[in-house]
Amino acid sequence: MTTYKAPLREYRFLLQELFDVGELAKLPGYEDATPDVFEQVLEEGAKLCEEVLFPLNRSGDEEGCTFENGVVRTPKGFKEAYDLFRQGGWTALVCDPEYGGQGLPHTLQFLVEEMVSSANMSFGMYPGLSNGAYRAIWHHGSAAQKRKFLPRLVDGSWSGTMCLTEPQCGTDLGQIRTRAEPAGTDGVYKITGTKIFISAGEHDLTDNIVHLVLARIVGGPPGIRGISLFIVPKFLVKDDGGLGPRNGVRCGSIEHKMGIKASATCVINFEEAEGYLLGEAHKGMRAMFTMMNAARLGVGLQGLALGETAYQTARQYAQDRLQGRALAGDKFPDKPADPIIVHPDVRRMLLTMKAYTEGARALAAWVSLALDRAERDPDPAAREEADDFIGLMTPIIKAMLTDNAFAATNLGVQIFGGHGYIREWGMEQLVRDSRITMLYEGANGIQALDLVGRKMPMHNGRLLRRFFHPVDAWLRQRLEKPELQEFVMPVMKAFGRLQQVTALVAQKGMADPDEAGAAASEYLRAFGLVAMGYLWARIAEIALGRLGGDEALFYKGKLATARFYMARVLPETNTLFVNIAAGAKSLMELEAEAF
Amino acid sequence: MPISKVAVIGSGVMGGGIAAHVANAGLPVLLLDIVPPGAKNRNTVAEQAIERLLKTDPAPLMHRDFARRITPGNLEDHLGLLADCDWIVEVVLEKLEVKHATYAKIEKARKPGSIVSSNTSTIPLRDLVAGMPASFEQDFLITHFFNPPRYMRLLEIVCGPKTRPDAVQAIEEFCDVRLGKGVIHAKDTPGFIANRIGGMWIQSALQAAFDLGLSVEEADAVMGRPFGMPRTGIFGLLDLVGIDLTPQVAASMQRSLAKDDPYIRIYQDRPLLAKMIAEGYTGRKGKGGFYRMTRSASGRQREAIDLATGEYRPLAKPQLASTAERKPEALLRHEDRGGQYARRVLGLTLAYAAALVPEIADDVVAVDEAMRWGYTWKYGPFELIDRIGADAVIALLAAEKIAVPPLLQQAAGKSFYRTADGRLDYLGRDGKYAPVKRRPGVLLLADIKRKSKPLARNGSASLWDVGDGVLCLEFHSKMNALDTEIMGMLGKGLDTVKKSAGAFKAMVIYNEAENFSVGANVGLALFAANVALWPFIEEGETAGQNAYKNLKYAPFPVVSAPSGMALGGGCEILLHSAAVQAHAESYIGLVETGVGLVPGWGGCKELVTRHTLNKKRPGGPMPPLLQAFETIALAKVSRSAPEARDTLMLREGDGITMNRDRLLADAKTKALALAAGYQPPQPQPINLPGPTGAAALKLGVTDLVNQGKATAYDAVVAERLAEVLSGGDTDMTLETSEDQLLALERRAFQSLIREPRTLARIEHMLETGKPLRN
Repeated sequence: MTTYKAPLREYRFLLQELFDVGELAKLPGYEDATPDVFEQVLEEGAKLCEEVLFPLNRSGDEEGCTFENGVVRTPKGFKEAYDLFRQGGWTALVCDPEYGGQGLPHTLQFLVEEMVSSANMSFGMYPGLSNGAYRAIWHHGSAAQKRKFLPRLVDGSWSGTMCLTEPQCGTDLGQIRTRAEPAGTDGVYKITGTKIFISAGEHDLTDNIVHLVLARIVGGPPGIRGISLFIVPKFLVKDDGGLGPRNGVRCGSIEHKMGIKASATCVINFEEAEGYLLGEAHKGMRAMFTMMNAARLGVGLQGLALGETAYQTARQYAQDRLQGRALAGDKFPDKPADPIIVHPDVRRMLLTMKAYTEGARALAAWVSLALDRAERDPDPAAREEADDFIGLMTPIIKAMLTDNAFAATNLGVQIFGGHGYIREWGMEQLVRDSRITMLYEGANGIQALDLVGRKMPMHNGRLLRRFFHPVDAWLRQRLEKPELQEFVMPVMKAFGRLQQVTALVAQKGMADPDEAGAAASEYLRAFGLVAMGYLWARIAEIALGRLGGDEALFYKGKLATARFYMARVLPETNTLFVNIAAGAKSLMELEAEAF
Repeated sequence: MPISKVAVIGSGVMGGGIAAHVANAGLPVLLLDIVPPGAKNRNTVAEQAIERLLKTDPAPLMHRDFARRITPGNLEDHLGLLADCDWIVEVVLEKLEVKHATYAKIEKARKPGSIVSSNTSTIPLRDLVAGMPASFEQDFLITHFFNPPRYMRLLEIVCGPKTRPDAVQAIEEFCDVRLGKGVIHAKDTPGFIANRIGGMWIQSALQAAFDLGLSVEEADAVMGRPFGMPRTGIFGLLDLVGIDLTPQVAASMQRSLAKDDPYIRIYQDRPLLAKMIAEGYTGRKGKGGFYRMTRSASGRQREAIDLATGEYRPLAKPQLASTAERKPEALLRHEDRGGQYARRVLGLTLAYAAALVPEIADDVVAVDEAMRWGYTWKYGPFELIDRIGADAVIALLAAEKIAVPPLLQQAAGKSFYRTADGRLDYLGRDGKYAPVKRRPGVLLLADIKRKSKPLARNGSASLWDVGDGVLCLEFHSKMNALDTEIMGMLGKGLDTVKKSAGAFKAMVIYNEAENFSVGANVGLALFAANVALWPFIEEGETAGQNAYKNLKYAPFPVVSAPSGMALGGGCEILLHSAAVQAHAESYIGLVETGVGLVPGWGGCKELVTRHTLNKKRPGGPMPPLLQAFETIALAKVSRSAPEARDTLMLREGDGITMNRDRLLADAKTKALALAAGYQPPQPQPINLPGPTGAAALKLGVTDLVNQGKATAYDAVVAERLAEVLSGGDTDMTLETSEDQLLALERRAFQSLIREPRTLARIEHMLETGKPLRN
């Protein structure tokens, strides 16, 4: 059985020590989101996750979803858990008070999402997708559409989906075939086509399911410029808000997957289903992107969350498991054997997991605070700055956090030895569950292309400024502080090389897109490692000043992990920079037929 | 007989424009018009015309002061003054009887041997000279300018059978060298060359848009940029020139062309046009045209007219697959209505052009030049055929059921132009290639490039041997933005001359792009600044300062020959050159403050030094400082080469060339003249007032901010500039060296490029082409 306790102390460190969450309450609309409210909500959330969702994780994986006669059933206990979740107001956390939401900051939502995914990632898929649908309708819907759909999505009695993928197209959505024919009334269409890989596409948790469907209006422009977004409910909604007859939406089957087995991944067939145009015709991709950015950050958090559970369980095991003796002599002579945590290699693995997970959480918090500023700051320049930063960091959060999650959950298995490989301990489930995070919402290779091909050249590098300038300034201000040099110097060196390769990749990529493509994944990782290195240096600076207090052990842990990061994680960038400089030639010279 | 004084009869838009341009060339001009009935001031028409010249934008005059070269008069009291004039240009109403009456007056007053020409665009020469004495006929020809005369290069010359060859020769030489025109010999046929083909182009594009059901936006997107034609397309163009002109041109064509002429065959009256003209929708000069701007509560909106209903509606971006094409041959293959439209219009226009040689012009070269210079097509019709492929055009005509003219048939399997033995050839009517002839004294880098290889080349610049011991540095980066490769090639060029043991005596910096240089590649700098690569930016600035210092102190003369824009770092090259030979249409300025910077490659240093050492300046420490400050702080750009003399961007010894094709030859001549016994300049330290001067300048800036004429950030930038120009920490008793000024430039530049508002300005300039006033 895995172990999970919500890392509330970690959250407090991020919100009140590394960053200042109190700043959020100064933004209009967030007046109530004080640090106290954060604490209370997180404590409540922790209880629900630890006591209700976490116990269903293993059983949900064992049982999986079932499909029979077009009906999908979630594993035992999910419906009851969902009802508790929804009654607790957790679906309404960040939603607009006008539609029954609580209007709390994204930063808080992200931490709750982390806890939910740590406890039971499959369960988290259902409300996660609903929130994406809520955001899209809230941003792009007409007043009538909002009135009709948002209150139920907010209170969780209905759920939502994102229907993008079709059998012949995933990444390349320009190939979408699902078609929309005008149904006579303005804005109403008949939707026909097949969508696959639809998470939460059909299930028994809610009364209705609101599908957001990408389709091509008949006669519209070809390719990506002819895609529109539609709201297609499973049950038609009457004007009084009550449910009408079943719409032409049917689940054809569910997928049998490697992981997240309690999340229903459906084939959804639309047969002349009534759909309502959301936003402008042919501008569906733009509307979809409002969901996708938040969704990509959410996937990064799932990775972080699984890493946390793996770390907590492995830490426990490494302290409990008595086996052999420390290499340099007995550490616990009174015990039959030393716990395996005495071994350098086990510590290497545990510290890697800890460094990844806590560094990732700091990175995610940095970005989520920007998300709140981007939405609420009254100063347009500050909003633009925050938007830029989010745009830049989204692919990094999505890709690096999920790559690291896979590595961390695997290290978790490794620490368990053979016990990690059998189902009983639950460690292998974490590996399987984490694997999807590298794939969906744009595979990590696509994230790297997004960073190098879009975000990097955008506005002549303006997005980059939002990272490079504050980091440059922070480092320069600490050049004269001897106690910080062990952190500042390695970060400064890696940062300097990142600046160089950024210019190099931008320049080479402009002349030859393959050069940008060849550098993309390694560049993204190098960027992410430097960004985490900067945060670890900041964490170390805080920890250094607090070693004497009651929580010396906590800060010692931070400091040691920061040192470990500088010594053994950040140097990975050395290899990455060499690889980036190698260019596209070694990848491209072999003709396709010769593979 | 040299032409040293000119008279223009008729002071309308064209007459005034021609007079202005003669004044631009430095000659005195007499501008005569009628005496309006009952006028107190009998010169009022011509005088008002001159006033209008000073208000027109784009300016017909290259310098306001040039208006003084134009003497206004009237056709009753001042005919006697014509006796002094060597060339009399008639630009009166396009009515034969009016012209004849005018000629009678001219004939009485002019001196023997003077030349008379008409700017007619519609009346045949044979009609103009009918009934005139032989003495008139032999001195008479048509000189057909295009509007506006300063800016449109084309001049069509038509002479009659009796016109004196030496008169033609004199006018041709004068218009070419002094007025800078591209002179083309046309025949006495309707519309001459450019309007004949241009008229067909516009008419076929107009008709086809109605017939094929294209929106005006779609039509203009197809029949514009993809084919190197004006971006406006024909509907936008008609709005610009006036829609009411269309029926006038058509009527004139109908009167003069044969009934089976393709123009007559495709022409149809379109009620919408008549209605628009009748209701005052004549284009930009009227209430609106095919496009218009409307103002409403939600702001300004562009609208376009629906050709079917005649109603305005919001502008709609064309969505056809063909309208997304940039390549002409690909566009022509599209099956949608955009592709059909392109095939129809181009088929008719190109076939028409091919069928009209030799009727309207002796060869294809004349036709291509006429369309390039008179209609600002990037490629003439035959060059366009070559780009699409002669065989493809023949196939297109067959598919469109348009007869293939013999000349085009002759090009089957070939092209109208080819490069052979390093020379540009054109296809003659005999099916043989002959060299394209340049006028005597014309030297084109394009021709040199055909027959030789560069001495050195990188991605942004090349070195060429342009003969007679002169090396040419050519820029060819995007928009000729200056980057490290250009700096490298500049250094290499200087070294090449130095080490040539006298084989090279001088260098010219010259290119044949639209703009000499738009300045430093700020995109690169912005990217580097965004990733905080400060050392890269610092090195770039120092490298530029050193490169320009080497340019200034080279032991041989370097002559820069700009045409078009020479801005920022491009302007700083001129400031460091031994001399400048500028095309008259040069737009020179230090524009760095527009992007929140100060000139950092020696521009501040050179300009403040020039103003300080200027012998004609008023005394005291402040005047030179103020002049340099104003020029740079306001990012003043000269609107012509003569105007650049006002700001000392050009010095007295710097030359101006009117004809673009003669610029390289003139620059070479200047460089070689300087090369004999050349002594590089000596560094000249100057005395500057230091902080007291800076304080005075800053006070002025504060006033501007208070008046709302400058933004708070303009003031920040201007203050940095003031600190540089006033010499930093100095006073009038101390000398400030060039290196000290350069160090001040670096300090100011490096502090400004770290400012977010500077970065926002650079980004805005790169993305919109316009300055951001933040």
